Amino acid sequence: MLRGALSIVWRDLIVLRRSLFSELLAVVASPLTLFFAFGFGLKGYITAVDGVPYAVFIAPGLISMTAVLAAFEESAWSMWFHRRVQKTIEEYRVTPITVYDIVVGKLISGFTQGGIKGVAVAVVIFLITPFRFPLQNLSIYLLFIALGSMIFSCLGTICGTVMDKPENIGRIQSVVIMPLIFMSGIFFPLSSYPPSILPVIRLLPSTALFEGARTALLSGASSMLSLLILGGTAVVMFALAVVVFNRKIEE
Amino acid sequence: MPAALSLQGLSKRYGTLTAVDRFSLEVEQGTVFGLLGPNGAGKTTLIKMLTTLMRPTEGDAFIQGHSIVSAGKKVRELIGVVPQENNLDRYLTARENLVLHAKMHGIPPRDYRPRIDELLELTGLSGRRNDFPDTFSGGMQRRLVVARALVHQPRLLFLDEPTTGLDPQSRRALWDHVRTLRSRMTIFLTTHYMDEADSLCDRIVIMDHGKSLVDGSAAELKARYAHAHIYELEVRRDAQRYEELFSSLSAVTSLEREQNAFRIVLRDEESLKPLMDSMESGDIRRICLVEPSLEEVFLDLTGKAVRE
Ligand SMILES: Nc1ncnc2c1ncn2[C@@H]1O[C@H](COP(=O)(O)OP(=O)(O)O)[C@@H](O)[C@H]1O
Ligand SMILES: [Mg+2]
Repeated sequence: MLRGALSIVWRDLIVLRRSLFSELLAVVASPLTLFFAFGFGLKGYITAVDGVPYAVFIAPGLISMTAVLAAFEESAWSMWFHRRVQKTIEEYRVTPITVYDIVVGKLISGFTQGGIKGVAVAVVIFLITPFRFPLQNLSIYLLFIALGSMIFSCLGTICGTVMDKPENIGRIQSVVIMPLIFMSGIFFPLSSYPPSILPVIRLLPSTALFEGARTALLSGASSMLSLLILGGTAVVMFALAVVVFNRKIEE
Repeated sequence: MPAALSLQGLSKRYGTLTAVDRFSLEVEQGTVFGLLGPNGAGKTTLIKMLTTLMRPTEGDAFIQGHSIVSAGKKVRELIGVVPQENNLDRYLTARENLVLHAKMHGIPPRDYRPRIDELLELTGLSGRRNDFPDTFSGGMQRRLVVARALVHQPRLLFLDEPTTGLDPQSRRALWDHVRTLRSRMTIFLTTHYMDEADSLCDRIVIMDHGKSLVDGSAAELKARYAHAHIYELEVRRDAQRYEELFSSLSAVTSLEREQNAFRIVLRDEESLKPLMDSMESGDIRRICLVEPSLEEVFLDLTGKAVRE
């Protein structure tokens, strides 16, 4: 069943390889800017969060953010482009592959892009800043990022499927995606929230993702609840992406 | 052996508009079948249903005996599709476009490599195999789309307006290519060019408003439906006087003149005699009957040339 999905991934990787350098340059720029602005610029004002130096506190979040944003963007734009501009989705659909192949293929591509770009940002942060973490924590951190990329990739697939106008994808990004990311404990600890709304924030999948990932990377502890929320969300989003795509595509 | 294609009451409605209206049809193996119709007749909608891109509102169709509704995957193994608009991947080279198609059909590299080389050779794109399709002319892009549809050696090839927008040379080249395919597969093409249908197709169906109007070979359609009796007549002298004379005859339904040459449409066969009687026999340089063309059949049936 995966043959079709892998063909699509093969295509996306060829295309990515051709523009890899410029893509990486662009993707590293924005988290690094944030890192310098907040991590260094504000260093004198915020010394430590829960005993962790502020620059170290935000570094994992910036890496996670890069990965999931890249996953979202790749899935959304690529689905939109292949559907509306090139109409290549129609070419895919007259070959004996299934709707699952197309959705799964686009997911894996989004996911791979997220992974590659996240690693790029991590490497740069690692090279030019004093940020260090225990290496044995990496695997559990990657599990968080994998689930997060999957969720955002599904979300992107859905946006790219239902939205015919490209500007709407940009709007979703600034109205839904960015607030979700900024509210979820990347730049400030959750303890800053008033206790009354904290339980709601904790239930957001994005909180489970960013908070969970940072905790995992810095301390090695993994929250079972966060993983469950992420896993559940990923399954629901995937089902939703398949259903939405199937509906839309048959007109 | 089942029919290559069998449509059974196939319909598609967009809201209140019925784009394809209970269409039924059987196409035999090895036929070059032409679906002719003005813009908006429903040709593309019909092809989209047959190629499983769109679900019919009603009815079903069978490709080599497989239902487009319940056996879509099997159907897609058997068909090649050249859509109305080129849908090449502009981020892949010409060759990579074909390789991706082969991969989606599950063809192993040792089989698709020679096949793709051969197709690129056949379509005259060998020299441009590593170039991106947006650097190609319209004709080259079209040939690449055709090559892509042939990679997996389909049993039934759908071509939706294959030559619309191409220059005359590219059209001829594409026709020649299609002719070489007819021995190996059934071909289903749509067009609104009469000459294309006339020179390529074994069988023609003219459709409009989602319905089939006539069905037959080009020769049959002309014999059956072209009622007009058109003559070309050239006179030696007095063209001006003859023009006035002809236009006063009730047997003449329409008249065009260019210098000494007339194009005359007569009401019926019997009208030729009164026309000849009205003339001095020494004044006629040449008179001949014009072969009815498919264009007239088409105009007669759909009432228009090209609808926008
Ligand atoms: N997706 C659609 N939604 C609504 N109407 C459509 C759609 N696609 C085509 N139509 C209408 O259906 C009719 C048939 O269109 P089409 O199949 O494209 O004709 P053709 O290919 O013969 O030019 C036209 O009136 C067209 O406007
Ligand atoms: Mg059309």
